[in-house]
Amino acid sequence: MELAGFPYLSAILLSCVAGLLVILFIPRERETLVKWVSLAFSGIALALSIYVYCAYDRMQGGLQFVEKLPWVEPLGIQYFNGADGFNLPLILLTGIVHFTGILTMWELRGRVKEFFAFVCVLVLGVFGFFMSMDLFFLFVWFDVSLFPMYPLIAIWGTTRKEYGALKLFLHVLAGSALILPGIVYLAVASGLHTFDIVALMQPGALTPGQQRFAFLLFYIGFGILAGVWPFHTWSPVGHVAAPTSVSMIHAGVLMKIGAFGILRVAIFLCPLGWEYWAPVMAVLATIGIIYGVFVGLTQTDLKYVIAYSSVSHMGIVGLGLSTVTAEGLTGAVFQMFAHGIMTALLFSSLGYIYDKTHTKLIPDLGGMSRVMPVASGYFIVAALAGMGVPGFASFWAEVTVFISALKVYPALGALAICALVLSALYMLRVVQRTFYGPRNERYARLPDVSFGLGLPRIILVAVMVLFGLFPRLMLDLIQTAVIPFMGGFSR
Amino acid sequence: MKGLILGPEIYFLAVATVFLFLSMMRPGARRDFSVALFLSGLGVAVTLAAVRMEGSLLHGAYRVDLFSQVFKGLLSLGFFLVVCLCSNLSGIQDERHSEFYLFLSTCTLGMMLLMSSTELLTLYVALELASYSLYALVPLRSGGQQMEAGIKYFLSGIATSALMLFGLASLFAASQTTYIDKLVVKLPGLLNNPMAFIGLLLTLCGFFFKLALFPFHIWAPSVYQGAANQVTAFLGTATKVAAIAMLVRLVSMSDGNTSLAHVLAALAIISMTYGNLVALVQKDFKRLLAYSAIAHAGYSLIGILSMNPTGYAAAVFYALASLSMTFICFLVMVKVASDGRDLAIAQFAGLHRRSPLLALALLVGVFSLGGIPPTIGFTGKFLVFNAAMEKGYFLLVLIAMINVVVSLYYYVQVVKAAFLLEPDEELPAISLSVPTIILTAVMVVVIVAGGLFPRYLFQLAEAAIQALL
Repeated sequence: MELAGFPYLSAILLSCVAGLLVILFIPRERETLVKWVSLAFSGIALALSIYVYCAYDRMQGGLQFVEKLPWVEPLGIQYFNGADGFNLPLILLTGIVHFTGILTMWELRGRVKEFFAFVCVLVLGVFGFFMSMDLFFLFVWFDVSLFPMYPLIAIWGTTRKEYGALKLFLHVLAGSALILPGIVYLAVASGLHTFDIVALMQPGALTPGQQRFAFLLFYIGFGILAGVWPFHTWSPVGHVAAPTSVSMIHAGVLMKIGAFGILRVAIFLCPLGWEYWAPVMAVLATIGIIYGVFVGLTQTDLKYVIAYSSVSHMGIVGLGLSTVTAEGLTGAVFQMFAHGIMTALLFSSLGYIYDKTHTKLIPDLGGMSRVMPVASGYFIVAALAGMGVPGFASFWAEVTVFISALKVYPALGALAICALVLSALYMLRVVQRTFYGPRNERYARLPDVSFGLGLPRIILVAVMVLFGLFPRLMLDLIQTAVIPFMGGFSR
Repeated sequence: MKGLILGPEIYFLAVATVFLFLSMMRPGARRDFSVALFLSGLGVAVTLAAVRMEGSLLHGAYRVDLFSQVFKGLLSLGFFLVVCLCSNLSGIQDERHSEFYLFLSTCTLGMMLLMSSTELLTLYVALELASYSLYALVPLRSGGQQMEAGIKYFLSGIATSALMLFGLASLFAASQTTYIDKLVVKLPGLLNNPMAFIGLLLTLCGFFFKLALFPFHIWAPSVYQGAANQVTAFLGTATKVAAIAMLVRLVSMSDGNTSLAHVLAALAIISMTYGNLVALVQKDFKRLLAYSAIAHAGYSLIGILSMNPTGYAAAVFYALASLSMTFICFLVMVKVASDGRDLAIAQFAGLHRRSPLLALALLVGVFSLGGIPPTIGFTGKFLVFNAAMEKGYFLLVLIAMINVVVSLYYYVQVVKAAFLLEPDEELPAISLSVPTIILTAVMVVVIVAGGLFPRYLFQLAEAAIQALL
């Protein structure tokens, strides 16, 4: 047993479990109490994740906050959590999105208790996935974070919710049909009979052939969840069907699980497979970027617009990962964080408008900035961030990725940049048609967002700007993990 | 003191006798359920007390070891759990309740004898005791299609018995012995002999039938649907456990024969795929569980055909897992269909409002069947796949995982009915008695905890396998 001081990471998980248990024992009529309880516990989780983020010793680097317990010795399963420069940004992201997601759903009516209970389970899985360093637990958390999606979308969702929920559920779990055999294959084929990621990372644990094979399993398995083209089809349907905060968590955090899985499992454990398949990854990622932009152009439903922009932005993450360079990896991790915050903000601000107008079709809206200037402001800020305007976190992430992509894959990089410019144009068009122009008189008397309800958006904007103005707060941290990793990777 | 190692068997014989006498009394004056609950609860205690006993009787034809005792524990637990469901035994006429408990206990007794049989004829006799009790239990239901189910079960059952007898005869002819401890030595060398190979395979058929493995699955859907809900619960839980145990015992005799593994792998693949694909279109919950049981027979066979200690231990773990997760589904069904009728999946509509606890239990149960962590069903599958991977059966594991994803579709339909659909007319809330609430909560905790903390259960399974090998 190995514990370095207070188990902060497990405490984050425990705060979710405790939240879940407390919610289960609250009578279901006490809806406000349920909301306060989930807010309180998500606040604890957020505070702990901020603490872990800040307390991580950047000079020392490596794996910190390590918690290691033998779990099933005969099979080599351990309870093994740790934090490094790769997962800390994502743990922080989960904390923020969870907290703001609960604030966003403050006005939820109907089956409140169940909703927040399922959200607790979902977030528990996400936190666990990011911090776990044992493949068995990694897989457990992966599925724990996915199965609540079905009830969450099917019960509280909107457009074609049952279809969307089922499609999403079966698609992402189909990924696990590749991941589980892959994990067991690694443990057995390496001859080590352990699921410990650190142990399996030793060079020479797996032959190049095994790495290529296993990499493909993980790349497709996690790639489905990461929205890698052509496995992305569940994602727009699912995003559109989901209720606001679930869209936030889903696009903001869950898709990162897929990308992070590619990083933590596929790239970490099968670096030679990574090198071998990188050109394929680059091509798929670029297609994803371009495809997302062009399909997004034709959408009239705002949620579809955001969903396809997610496909495109996740393509940037994929492109960064496919460069096999330190900058590319850094940019990819930063983009995971930035895109998480940005999409959460987009869905969150759209959620308010939809709650009031009951429409998210662009032609039905129009002139919203004069009806609800503040609510519109949040959306416009998020849209600007999505275009990669300097001053927002996403700018730095995209720049880092594109610079390294241009070096490694000049043609693909250039194509991707062109597509991004185009996406800026269409985002501007969406903003113009939705928020400016003639006002739809039906919605003229709707109230603007109050401070309390606007709070989650304020937090998200603040985070975007903070890391946009001081990108080194995060870049340095990511570098502490990327540089040793790439250094150990013989080129 | 040698008789004491037969404690559980003697106890269950006594239980059966009690119900034999009760069945002769006037129906109105009896309290069958309370008696059964008390006796079955005590039965669990008795078998658990005997879990550490070891010994051999009847010149080695009957052996008591950790393997058999662990399974006897599981069987008595299954018996107890099924009796817990009988507080409202409305599917069966009042005057037949004693007979119901009588046959249930003789069936449990038969399966317990089976667990310890280490001689082929003893094994056959014990199996038939269990089988004939079940033949009587299936048509006990009042009204409906119980006769069709009963006849189907009986005819296909005796046909497989005949096959099995033929297999036993061939095994004896090839090896000149009926003792398993001698067979273990002789058989690995003999399996190149077609007679011995076919003999072993046909012997296994008897248990394939109990497990509802393809191609011996034909009875399952009609019998599951036709029998009373409690009988189906017993069929779906306790008998599966016994079948897995005997398959482990018999297959372990072959000492890693590759041809046998290939035949079993083919059966496992067909069984999983067939069960899952047909389950996709089912409307009746019990039929759905029947096809899901066919699929689960395939999964558990993967552990057995790996033919390594991890694989056998995984199969034992899987038996325990499927006992608990199948049971919780039946528990919910029995409570929802309180008048003992068959339940369509759509009739779970509105369950989340009628009884949040049962809806939660159903969610946990079907997701566990679907192999979603952190449940015991997932951990069982993980262990089974791990064992198969150690033998290099990558493709088998992949096919099994694809099957798992296919199966999620129909499991989700159940969740959807319980959480999403609204009934056409407003149905009253389901009121649960305190013991039922406790039982349900305990089962939920067991399923989740068994998935998260598999260590001790797995160590127990490994120890049981050590005793066997």
